[in-house]
Amino acid sequence: MQFTYEEKLAMLKINSFSFLRADWLGRLLDIFSSPCEILKQTPQVLSEEGKISLETAQKFLQTTSRLDAEQEMEQVAKVKGTIYFKGEDNYPKELLNIKEPPPVLYVRGTLPEVNTARVAMVGTRKITPYGRRAATRLGEDLALAGVILVSGLARGVDSVVHSCAVRNKKPTLALIGTGIGRCYPAENRELARGILDTGGAIISELPFNAPPLAPHFPRRNRLIAAFSQIAVVVEGEVKSGALITAKMALEQGLDVLAVPGPIDSPQSMGPNKLIKEGAGMALTAADIIDCIPLNLKVGLDTKKLYNEEKPPQQELTSLEQSVVNAIGSGSKSTDDLALALDMGVSEIAGLLFNLEVNGIITCEDGKYSRRKF
Amino acid sequence: MLSNILSGCINALDGFLVSVEVDISAGMPSFSLVGLPEQEVKEAKDRVLAAIRNSGFDVPLKKITVNLAPAEVKKSGTHFDLPIALGILSASGQLSKEAQQKSAGIVFIGSLGLNGKIHACGGVLPMLICLKKAGHNLAIIPADNLNEAAYASTQAYGAVNLKQAVEYLEGKQELKPAGADALENAEDETLLGDFSEVKGQSLAKRALEIAAAGGHNVLLVGPPGTGKSMLAKRFAGILPPLTKEERLDILQIYSVCKLLGKNSKMPGRPFRDPHHTISNIALIGGGQTPKPGEVSLAHNGVLFLDEFAEFSRSSLEVLREPLETFKVTIARAKDSFTFPAKFTLIAAMNPCPCGYHGHKIKQCNCTPLQISRYKSKVSGPLLDRIDLTVNLNPVDYKDWNKKSEGETSAQIRQRVIAARQIQQERFKNSTTTANAFMSVAEIKEFCPLPQGGGEVLELAMKKLGLSARSLDKILKTARTIADLAGSKDIQKQHIIEVMQYRPFDRKGVSDI
Repeated sequence: MQFTYEEKLAMLKINSFSFLRADWLGRLLDIFSSPCEILKQTPQVLSEEGKISLETAQKFLQTTSRLDAEQEMEQVAKVKGTIYFKGEDNYPKELLNIKEPPPVLYVRGTLPEVNTARVAMVGTRKITPYGRRAATRLGEDLALAGVILVSGLARGVDSVVHSCAVRNKKPTLALIGTGIGRCYPAENRELARGILDTGGAIISELPFNAPPLAPHFPRRNRLIAAFSQIAVVVEGEVKSGALITAKMALEQGLDVLAVPGPIDSPQSMGPNKLIKEGAGMALTAADIIDCIPLNLKVGLDTKKLYNEEKPPQQELTSLEQSVVNAIGSGSKSTDDLALALDMGVSEIAGLLFNLEVNGIITCEDGKYSRRKF
Repeated sequence: MLSNILSGCINALDGFLVSVEVDISAGMPSFSLVGLPEQEVKEAKDRVLAAIRNSGFDVPLKKITVNLAPAEVKKSGTHFDLPIALGILSASGQLSKEAQQKSAGIVFIGSLGLNGKIHACGGVLPMLICLKKAGHNLAIIPADNLNEAAYASTQAYGAVNLKQAVEYLEGKQELKPAGADALENAEDETLLGDFSEVKGQSLAKRALEIAAAGGHNVLLVGPPGTGKSMLAKRFAGILPPLTKEERLDILQIYSVCKLLGKNSKMPGRPFRDPHHTISNIALIGGGQTPKPGEVSLAHNGVLFLDEFAEFSRSSLEVLREPLETFKVTIARAKDSFTFPAKFTLIAAMNPCPCGYHGHKIKQCNCTPLQISRYKSKVSGPLLDRIDLTVNLNPVDYKDWNKKSEGETSAQIRQRVIAARQIQQERFKNSTTTANAFMSVAEIKEFCPLPQGGGEVLELAMKKLGLSARSLDKILKTARTIADLAGSKDIQKQHIIEVMQYRPFDRKGVSDI
């Protein structure tokens, strides 16, 4: 099926009503032959036919009339974006099976082929050094193997995941909680550009300039799940967006894996709880790839992942090794290390510098932590 | 009859000579005061007339006109009372010929009470110093200001009341000269505790030692209770003793602010810790009659800004000028005033609004946005002027107990003094006093890169994302570390040590 230009405009308008339930739209579209017809009705008719309250019908007509759909089309065209309409043939198939498929999908960049392996990696915005290490390690391996990483372009885990793909010039999908005409948070503008440059896509169901409002985020989480076959929760508190995504993923029948973490870290409470409730443990990228359906695994380059061969370790002096050991898996300040190793702060400075520039450790807010295991 | 008595006035820290001309002529009894007097000078009329009457002299029932020359400069301060009173006495013939002649070469400064008593007033020291430069060596000042006048190395005599001043002019009484009781040296009393009392925090202590040795500015970041204020308060105690010139500068500023009373002691290194609700004017100086602000009161000492991020943005912005030029210029339509403001800034702040971001035990409740917003309050140009940044962490009880005997302030101070001596030798032909104040040319001359130093900086820029504009600061700080180590040249490890104190320079770690 193909919508006419007028019908497309009507769909855009209908889509801008954010309280829209998809079953609703289906019902209305069944009753009225075209989306244009819906907007021409009086609130009374709509409320009667669509079985909704008069108030909602009034609000619906008000909101939909406010959106300048032609401008919307122009703006999307300007950024070389595409709009997909539910009901048209090119509408992403992944979305047809979920409970509330969005009537309209705004996309910048290119959507991947249907039969590609995709893994959603989500987590807290308040990332810990551990979460950063874990997300980087898993994300890099998956991206290199050819898996398309799906996430939400938020701060913290999301940004780390996307940058794993961008750094390796692999496509990645970002489902965002604003319109595609915006970048939130603004500091990810560079990353967003990287995503588009490396063949990925930025996707949203919200009108072009929709602001980052709180209710948008849980809703976009269902799309993250919809575009993936596996969901991996890296870090997140028990009540967090990451766990909402996990729940949506379970509802949509995805495999959910979690990265286990320290039992006293609030950011690892979410994934630990998921594991306790039966989610798989994501210890390596191979663990995740094992869960991908066989037919999608065909194109993946998994040789490296299953090889036990480890990359050559950097030679560390015994003093450097003792510093690395003292840091352990947590993060330590210079003072802590000086005390633990019984050295002066100026002596230890040289060791820390060497380790830092060699990429063994990293410093955040004056605290050092291991970069890789 | 006409009389002319000399006095002085002060603009910022610059004194100048004022002639107090009094004319008494026949006519309706009246008193008029001209020569751009400010409100407090205008009020002299009532004080002076009552003081004359209550000192046993007569107020002439004639038309009295007083002019303060040069008439086009605004005059402020109550110290014109004494010269006006003497002018009236002289013009009304109540002083003898000899007394009138004797008064011609003397500068009079003093504010009068209604009973004729001479009260202390502000700015006596800088006024005397400037008048001495202009060739006026002899002055009569309030007896209560005698102790500060001792530092002007001029002939100043202290009078207790109007009558005593007149009797001195008549040759009937001698006055107490300045210099007899100079300020008692009380430098040690300004110390607020010893470094050995601060447990742990060796990195912060080392940073403060470097700051003291080279005059660098420091930012301490840490949760509440990690000893930020404790360390800052002890910082003045490891600074080298004041030189004569530094002390004179401080005394002049204190004099203008009336901080040198009769019983006050010789100030040590200033330590100023204004509250974060301070107004811009109070911080930087100014007001209708420009007065030094906290930055000038901290001249040659320490300005400690606790809760740095809580200061209003505009207050932090006004700090930029003194941090760059070491002085404050207050420009007005007609005049501009300059106060010195060369201080070491010690700023302390929490890592986030709730204070516990990065705390070992307590949980931080702030959102990432709140944290980055909090940090960005002090970003940019202000952070550019800070050489050393230290993140402090809570001290464990274990360390607190174990490391009870740290170094004392006196031990640290010895090393600081040694490093400052090296710098004195280095900057003997320049106005620069410490490494932190080096010009670009001086950095080039005195901070050559050591063997392997270039590679260190390159690695730091490439791998840690250090920005090019922090390079100069790194070199300056490395110079100080080398001085502390007694090393003639900067060495590789000195540059490496500086990296410890630049955590904010590192690029966002999000893209490892």
